[in-house]
Amino acid sequence: MKTPRFLKRASLLALCLCAGEALADARLEARRHFRAGMSLIAQKQYDQGIAELEAAYAIKPHPNVLYNIARAYHDAGRLQEALDAYKRYLASNPPDAATVVTTVAVLEEKLKAAESATAAAAPEDTSALPMPPPPASIQAQQQLGVLLERLEKAIERAESMPVASAPTVAVPVSTPAARPEGPEVSGADEGAVPYEERVVTASRRAQSSLEAPNATTVITAEDIRLSGATSLPELLRRVPGADVMSLGVGSANVSLRGFNQRIANKVLVLVDGRTEYQDFLGLTLWSTIPIGLEEIERIEVIRGPGSALYGANAMLGVINIITQAPGSGPRARFSATAGTGNSAAGSFVSHGSSGALRYRASAAYSQADKWSRDFANGRPDMELKEPDPDLGLRGARATLSTVYTFAEGRQVGLSGGVHRYTTEIYPLGTLRNYFMDGVTAYAKGDAELGPLKLKTFWNHISGDAGPQYEPIGQRTLVRSVSSNLFNAELLFARAFQLGGEHQLNVGVEGRLKRVAWDYLGPLRQEVHAAAFVQDEWRLVEPLRLVASYRVDRHPLLDNGQPGLAHSPRVSALFIPFEGQAFRASAASAFREPTFLESYTRIPVPVPGVNGASALTTGSTSLRAERLTAFELGWRGESAELGLDWDVALYQNTVRDLIGLSAVQRLPAGESYDEASGSYLLGRSFFQNEDAVYTARGAEAGLSMAPVDGLGVKVSAAFQSVTSDREEKAECGPCSQAPQLKLYGGVTYRTKADLEFGLDAAFTSSSTWIEREPAAADPTRIELLSNPLKAHTVINARVGYKAVPDTVDVALVGSHLGGAHSQHPFGNRIERRVYATLTVTP
Amino acid sequence: MSRPTPTHSRKKMALGSLVLASLLGLGCEPPTVVPTADGRQNTRNARIEGSLVVQSRARGNAVVFLYDADRPPPPQGTGRPISFTVIPAEQLFGPALGTDAPGPFTAPFTFSLVPAGRYLLRGFIDADTCGGAAAQPCHRPDFIPWYGVTSEPNAGDVGGAAVDPTTGVPLTLEVTADADGQPQPLTGVSVSFSDSARVPLDRPAFQVQGDPTMGSAMKVLRLQRLAIQDGAVDQRPPGFLVSYVDANRDGTPDDANADGMPDFSLRVVVRKLAEGLHSVEENDLNRDGVPDATGVDYMHADGTQDGNPDVVVLAAGLVPDPLIAALTDEQGQPRMQPVVVQELQLAVRPLALDARNPAAPAPLREMPRGRYAVVLIQSTGQTWRVPNELDPAVAPGVGLPSVESQAFVLEVP
Repeated sequence: MKTPRFLKRASLLALCLCAGEALADARLEARRHFRAGMSLIAQKQYDQGIAELEAAYAIKPHPNVLYNIARAYHDAGRLQEALDAYKRYLASNPPDAATVVTTVAVLEEKLKAAESATAAAAPEDTSALPMPPPPASIQAQQQLGVLLERLEKAIERAESMPVASAPTVAVPVSTPAARPEGPEVSGADEGAVPYEERVVTASRRAQSSLEAPNATTVITAEDIRLSGATSLPELLRRVPGADVMSLGVGSANVSLRGFNQRIANKVLVLVDGRTEYQDFLGLTLWSTIPIGLEEIERIEVIRGPGSALYGANAMLGVINIITQAPGSGPRARFSATAGTGNSAAGSFVSHGSSGALRYRASAAYSQADKWSRDFANGRPDMELKEPDPDLGLRGARATLSTVYTFAEGRQVGLSGGVHRYTTEIYPLGTLRNYFMDGVTAYAKGDAELGPLKLKTFWNHISGDAGPQYEPIGQRTLVRSVSSNLFNAELLFARAFQLGGEHQLNVGVEGRLKRVAWDYLGPLRQEVHAAAFVQDEWRLVEPLRLVASYRVDRHPLLDNGQPGLAHSPRVSALFIPFEGQAFRASAASAFREPTFLESYTRIPVPVPGVNGASALTTGSTSLRAERLTAFELGWRGESAELGLDWDVALYQNTVRDLIGLSAVQRLPAGESYDEASGSYLLGRSFFQNEDAVYTARGAEAGLSMAPVDGLGVKVSAAFQSVTSDREEKAECGPCSQAPQLKLYGGVTYRTKADLEFGLDAAFTSSSTWIEREPAAADPTRIELLSNPLKAHTVINARVGYKAVPDTVDVALVGSHLGGAHSQHPFGNRIERRVYATLTVTP
Repeated sequence: MSRPTPTHSRKKMALGSLVLASLLGLGCEPPTVVPTADGRQNTRNARIEGSLVVQSRARGNAVVFLYDADRPPPPQGTGRPISFTVIPAEQLFGPALGTDAPGPFTAPFTFSLVPAGRYLLRGFIDADTCGGAAAQPCHRPDFIPWYGVTSEPNAGDVGGAAVDPTTGVPLTLEVTADADGQPQPLTGVSVSFSDSARVPLDRPAFQVQGDPTMGSAMKVLRLQRLAIQDGAVDQRPPGFLVSYVDANRDGTPDDANADGMPDFSLRVVVRKLAEGLHSVEENDLNRDGVPDATGVDYMHADGTQDGNPDVVVLAAGLVPDPLIAALTDEQGQPRMQPVVVQELQLAVRPLALDARNPAAPAPLREMPRGRYAVVLIQSTGQTWRVPNELDPAVAPGVGLPSVESQAFVLEVP
């Protein structure tokens, strides 16, 4: 009988949607299985319990799960399985290996004895009737009682650890011999507590995100893969309170809790602790970062001030991109992407080791056309200045990261990378769409000697930058820029007891910045220094206090002379129940003036008046922008339901914002600028604004993995920014910050190796107040209001494991919500579709 | 999970490759052109470009102005430049900058972002006349476009204009638009400068003597020559250059308005100023010389209002007798060559006119109250007006010298 076609399709759909061992949010799912398993084991339902633990381990390997499997078998009297599980656990080189080796030896003795006894009794047994099991001895019953008690405690904590005093270490590193090779390792859970979300950015040491003094959001490698995102900023839309504003395919500005702008300069972006903040202009050039998405282990986003630990520019938050540890991934992984918009990308990542040396190497290429162009070719009034008018971004990059481990807690790391890039920038004031074509490079050295960590790095960026289009006959603003940054940092961490447990972190830092850029005049050089201390004091359970303080020496902050910026932070954490943390914090943070704001002197041509320029100048007497923040937060989790959530209420008060003044007439004798051969109609200079801005907001984020295969993430952020001096119509920071941002994402993975992902990010309308030469008289610079409609960014991905663990294919649609702009001067963003093939031979 | 068979794997790989390959051919369309909210992306412009041709011993930056042909500059009109460009002396004269070689010298120039329309090009070399054999008064380059008192040529500067290269006649240039409305660039324009167009005198700087309050009777004000040499301002006129108008070149003074009096090359305008703005003319708040789209509309003498912002002037003219005396030779014949006089008498009648149409000014029912400026226009196109930026209330703020007399305004109470 012929099967109707619709039944075939329905069957296929059912097959696709039937979740078996599938997972969406691996950590949450593994945690749910782990919790269920421990609960069943406590109820002596060993088979089911162990199956749950095995399921958790299959989703996300963690050695402590193996330990608990071993204990469960042991308790169930299934000594051979227990022995096998203990040996698997020992293979991970756990800190309590000596104890477990003893246990293994005892078990092996028992099994030998049992085998001998079985061999001796075998002839009798074959003819004898089955006998009831012997009554357990009193000693065995006592042992069982102890074990049960231990298991119950473990369940109460939702986390079982083989050794209660196992040290909390920053990103535990196994010795090379203990680290198994293969793709599964990169997804392993490495925290001391199984399936606990861990962060290293909030306190500069590894800790549970429950214990973090700030609101934190973690984006895992799995999130990145399932999202299908092709850029870092796109990933950040899922962070509650994040303002992600794409102006071009390679140009995005990201801020947290408002204050976004064409050069977003109040969020510090780090890659493995190395800054990606470009001091010459004061922004993060996302598309020049030499790290690809395929190399990222996770991204930690600290929403809230971070200057107490990270110093300047960590004003509204810190985004720390943590790459895969060398040697933790496959020996080779190739990926190729092609799509609309002339998009093409290819990457190769390799992990490996030789003795105590581990490495990660990568090479990649990517390109994509702009979503839209501002001007057509062949115009009679405008000429092209950039290398390719269609190109939004293009880059070829390579990185190498190595770690040599001498002994436990003693290792040296060396890494470096280079990126040849072309991208877009949207600068300030009356300047518009720039291109930048050049090279970034970095070299980094890390040394870990027990409690001491030394980190040094060099950042370089250079290239040509200037307007993509300029009026024919107008003096060009295309110039070369070269920036070098040298940084050294020494950290010391120690735990001690004094009226409770203390975790002390101390650090000192020095930084040299050198910028050569015609916009700034001669070569500019600054030397910065800083020191910080943080103490986390477990005063009494369940209360913890975290106090941090950092002082930064800046060469100009005292009215052009060296001055200090102080950044204190105090947080209280109240953890009344396992998995529920309430926090309250007060902190201050700052953003230092950029080189552009301090030193620039640019005669900006007045459009259509070739003999005139408007002079933009910096000021070396600027004060730092200051933030005072108060925050209340609640972070919780429900392992049984597969839920994590975070709620935050905050008030940010921002003072001394640095902005451009109105154009002011110059003294008559200074009107002619010989260098540019033009008359200066006036001067606009960087200044600290008198207005005080207050941002109040609420954020909530929820992650769910309620059933196998399904992952759901939703978040909402509401914000209002007010000024004490400006009406909303005149207040840029007030009207430019979207009041409401919503995010929802669903991922679903099926038994048939299909993956579905869909996410949507809604941003409410806003009004951008921007400078523009008056239409009637371009020598007058006006502030114009540009309304921006609300928009929703919708992305979707369908993935298929064509050959498990070897070949993945995926189809990704981005910006499916339709054409829109995220800034009045940005590209009109269009839908794009990509296909990706990933091969892990 | 069981491992797939090799055949199964190959099929899956083929499927995956097919999906990838199917997209490889997509998306090669270039990005579309979509102007953003940036105003500059929403205009349709072209450009005017060409060369300067300088035959002069003068040395200095060349400044070229772009005017709307319908609003020519003084002396033909009262238009102000739409744009200007500067060709630095180093670029224009090159190695000859330190010499007095007469040239010719050439250098390219461009006016960017020019919409379709008809234009005039005028210019001058902002000469440094204080060299070895300096004539007096000599000037350092002193052009500053942003202030009325520094934005015109002085003695020794060399004038220029876009002219027909064969006839030397000043040209009206036209930027045309194609069928789609896209303006087309105008290239190959020549702007000529010659020593024959040297500016003979400084601007007609003056101070006003007389009661500044306008009554119901005719008022006579005395305009006296004023020399200012302070800071960025260097005006040392020997007097006011005046001559009869002889447009038809018949050797006799013209009388265009047939009032029985000869026409003089010096013209004077008494123009109403905007309230609350120092020296900004009423209904021309953007200072482009064109009446604003919206503004004050006064009742005309016939009891009507035309619905347009008015260009209010007071009926005024130079008292002719002293000028006729100066322009009469010993034989009692009109002297057709210009003469320099030290003082002018300005007669202001208690009558306001709407000069929106300069050819047919319309009387207003009454004189609007407020402040009025006095503007003097010389035959060279050089002008002077009071009040100006030398008013002590303004001058310190813009780095100009304070001159008390330059604060004068004629008040209509």
